[in-house]
Amino acid sequence: MDVDMIFKIAAIGIIVAVLNQLLIRSGREEQAMLTTLAGLIVVLSMLVTQISNLFGTIKQLFGL
Amino acid sequence: MNILAICFVGILTAVLSISIRRYNSEIAFIITVIGCIIIFLSVLLNISSLFETVRNILSTASVEFSYVTILLKVIGLCFISEFAVDCCVDAGQRALANNISIAGKVLVLVTAIPLYKDVLSTVLSLAGGGV
Repeated sequence: MDVDMIFKIAAIGIIVAVLNQLLIRSGREEQAMLTTLAGLIVVLSMLVTQISNLFGTIKQLFGL
Repeated sequence: MNILAICFVGILTAVLSISIRRYNSEIAFIITVIGCIIIFLSVLLNISSLFETVRNILSTASVEFSYVTILLKVIGLCFISEFAVDCCVDAGQRALANNISIAGKVLVLVTAIPLYKDVLSTVLSLAGGGV
C-alpha cells in the first residue's frame, strides 16, 4: 500500500500548474501548453503502471 | 490491512483531488483513480487466503472444480468492469461507462454458458429426454 504515489501525483500537479501560470504570465504560451502535456504524460505513465499492476493481480487471483 | 487505513486513504485522496481540481482537472481525476487502485489492491492482496478456503470448502462438498473456476472468473469480471465503469462515470463519460457495463454483462454471460448447458442437460435427463 503506497500512499506516496498519491502525494507524488498531487505534487506533480501543483508544480505543473505553477509552471503553467508562470510561463503564461511571461508570454510563452506554447511552452506552457507543452509543460502541461509533459506533466500529464508523466502522471499517465504512473497510472498505467498501477492499472497493469491491479489487473495483473485480479487476473492471477481470479484465474481470468 | 485495517479499515482505518482504507478510510484514511479515501479521505486523503478526496481532499487532494478537490484541491487540485481548480488548477489541473486531469491530474485531479488521475489522483482519484490511483486512490481507488491503492484501496482495491490492498484489499485484493489480503484476501488470497479466502480463495483457498472457498476452494477447500467447495472441494469437500464435492462440487466440480470447473464450476468454482467459472464462479471466480465471473467475480473477477464483475470487479474489473465495475471499476472501469466507476472511473468513466467519475470522468463524466456516461456513454462509455454504459458500454463497458454492457460488455461486462455479455462477457459474464459468455463465461457462464457452460453452467447453463450443464443445468439444462441435468433437467432434460431428469425429464427423461436426452441431449
